[in-house]
Amino acid sequence: MIMNNPSQKISIMRSKLELKPRLLWLQGLTCNANAHSFFNLPNLEQLLNKFEILYHPSLGTEYSFEKISECDMVCDVLIFEGTFDPLLKRNNILMLNILTHYAHNAKHIIGLGSCASFGGMFKASSPQRNTGLIFNESLKEGPLLHLEEKVINLSGCPIHPQWLGFTLNMIVQNRPIAVDELHRPLELYSHLAHHGCTRNEYFEWKVDSKGFGLKEGCLFYGQGCRAPMTHSSCNKILWNEVSSKTRNGTPCFGCTEPDFPRTDLFSTKTNMSIPADVPLGVSKRSYLTMVGMAKTFSIKRLEGKLIDYKKTD
Amino acid sequence: MITKKLIDQIEGEASVYFDLKDEKVDYASIAFPHFIGIENILEGKSVLDALVITPRVCGICGHAHLMACVRAIESAYKNANLPVTLSKKAEDIREFTLILEIIQNHFKWLYMTIIPQISKLSGSYQDQHPLKGAFAASLATKALAIFSGQWPHASYMIPGGITCDPTHVERLQALSHVEELITFFEKECAGIDIDSLLSFRSCKEIDALQSDIGDLEKNLALSKMHLKGFSHDNFLVLGKHDFSTQAKLKQMRVSNVDTRYIELDDAYSPDEKSYAKNATYNGMFYEVGPLSRLISSNYPLIKNMHRRFKDSTYTRVMARVFEIAVLLKQARTLVENLTLDEASFFAPSKIENLSSTGIGVVEAPRGSLIHKVIIQEGVIKKYEIITPTQWNLGSSPKNRLSPSQQAMQGQSVDDALFIFRSFDVCSVCTTH
Ligand code: SF4
Ligand code: SF4
Repeated sequence: MIMNNPSQKISIMRSKLELKPRLLWLQGLTCNANAHSFFNLPNLEQLLNKFEILYHPSLGTEYSFEKISECDMVCDVLIFEGTFDPLLKRNNILMLNILTHYAHNAKHIIGLGSCASFGGMFKASSPQRNTGLIFNESLKEGPLLHLEEKVINLSGCPIHPQWLGFTLNMIVQNRPIAVDELHRPLELYSHLAHHGCTRNEYFEWKVDSKGFGLKEGCLFYGQGCRAPMTHSSCNKILWNEVSSKTRNGTPCFGCTEPDFPRTDLFSTKTNMSIPADVPLGVSKRSYLTMVGMAKTFSIKRLEGKLIDYKKTD
Repeated sequence: MITKKLIDQIEGEASVYFDLKDEKVDYASIAFPHFIGIENILEGKSVLDALVITPRVCGICGHAHLMACVRAIESAYKNANLPVTLSKKAEDIREFTLILEIIQNHFKWLYMTIIPQISKLSGSYQDQHPLKGAFAASLATKALAIFSGQWPHASYMIPGGITCDPTHVERLQALSHVEELITFFEKECAGIDIDSLLSFRSCKEIDALQSDIGDLEKNLALSKMHLKGFSHDNFLVLGKHDFSTQAKLKQMRVSNVDTRYIELDDAYSPDEKSYAKNATYNGMFYEVGPLSRLISSNYPLIKNMHRRFKDSTYTRVMARVFEIAVLLKQARTLVENLTLDEASFFAPSKIENLSSTGIGVVEAPRGSLIHKVIIQEGVIKKYEIITPTQWNLGSSPKNRLSPSQQAMQGQSVDDALFIFRSFDVCSVCTTH
């Protein structure tokens, strides 16, 4: 009996393992930054080896785009990078047709970056018609709405390489990925960009940065930092494994949220000196009470310079 | 008969239409079918928002766009007689991160584009390791992100300086990544230490290398690329940096440059709608990029190559590879000598009060990049971006060919496609 032969069983399991999921990477209107960000992933090769890559825009892959655009094969995992423009053609074929064909057959669809998730930066290219795959900003609207249960959005402008690495590895391991109402993985987007910023103590004691180019102070009140209102793990999983915008004194622009890009990105909107937006889930009253209290203290260590090079160099 | 070739595995998508005579290119036109319209998006926005929007023109050279943008705003301040002070520290850090972006670009182009293509073309099956390019690029961007916070799409350069305030801890971390990258380049790429490579004077010395670069050189020669791909032999370097020399070279006659002579006109593409524009200087096409930079800076090896093989594809490709070594050394010097005791940022006067025009010029991976802005009370009235690819990859009628069109003339389709890619095609920048 075949089933009683243990070596037979093993070989059946092996051949199943060798059937790698087929990955296809398509692009709408994009600047290619998600592709380039992903190239920064440590252990990229090990991850890519877990897939059969049908097509990727900058890696030499099994098929040419001309072949892919004929739509006579299927993929298991579809990555779509960029804004969806219903009139966009690639190789003279409507992207809508190529996208629908592969999306229909795929088991997982990844909307890569804020453009594919919500329309993002390039929505403004043709605001009347461009959208994400299943969202137009935060409205449910897009070419793949009928397949929404398969869609995972990885918002960000661009995505952090580890966010895509995480998602692909979970798929390979057949693990379910819990998502929020915008279809973003909870494990990546339930934190706020504010969590883990080296300026957190300044935020807590309400010591605002005196300007740009300083280690000291928080950028929330004067420099437009959106991190307390932004779902992302930028300060938990560091960028390029070394840093983040806010650690380096650049405000968070809220690039993972459906309203990105907002305007006046380097200043904080205030009404009568009160920030127009306060940290997520915190009522304005609680926020103001907290600020009022914190401002009554004067903490010398936080008011001064951390290091004075004039004295040390 | 017109033959269409779709060019993928580049930054974005392009098509080249060949009109062949006796199987050789009699005329090639180039179409870039996609359009973003960044300049329109910018109009009416606060000018500082351009520091966030313009890097998004391009995922591979967004940092160069950031620098062109900040230089344009700073020049607008100066044109309005409002002072902008930059510390040497801020200037050095800006330069360092710009250089590292160029380095990551060249590594990717080398391993993901040029080596796979030359291996196909020469039939020599040079070993292909596209992910070596990604690995090297990730080391470069790590060093870059220490100062910029992230790559791609940082916005850490602002009028008056930079947003970061590094300590020697960060400086040394950046230095160690650069040193690791230099070691990688020497061992995995060049097969020789960087100083010896930089002291080379003849092609023979490269030919003798047992390495990826040595193999590339041999395969270029095998494919007769030293006899193909000649362009106009006109070079232009507009950006002001320590690693290059601003100049205009017309058949090696050097003269000064003035950005007032730069013009843009619509590309000519009879077979497909193209959104591209052609950039010219005083009505003439010039090649921009690594070859132009190295020739204007008088590197002996590149000068020698140029003397023997002119602006052939061989010279163009080898210049781009050689520039990796030049820039790695420059990056190491910059970060080794960086002083941190100055301020990162001097606040200029309030942006809301600024009504002026400005121009920012930098050297991006593919060549000179220009941003022009008209500002009224801190708001963008008009923004114009002229990218390197608009010089090199222009498309014009037969009597006035762009550098890449000229280089493809008279070649077989396969050779012409390789020659086209030797210019490091980027469609997203071309049409932005
Ligand atoms: S700078 Fe931004 S991320 Fe950092 S503590 Fe302040 S609000 Fe939070
Ligand atoms: S810190 Fe904010 S703006 Fe920056 S990448 Fe993260 S979410 Fe986007």
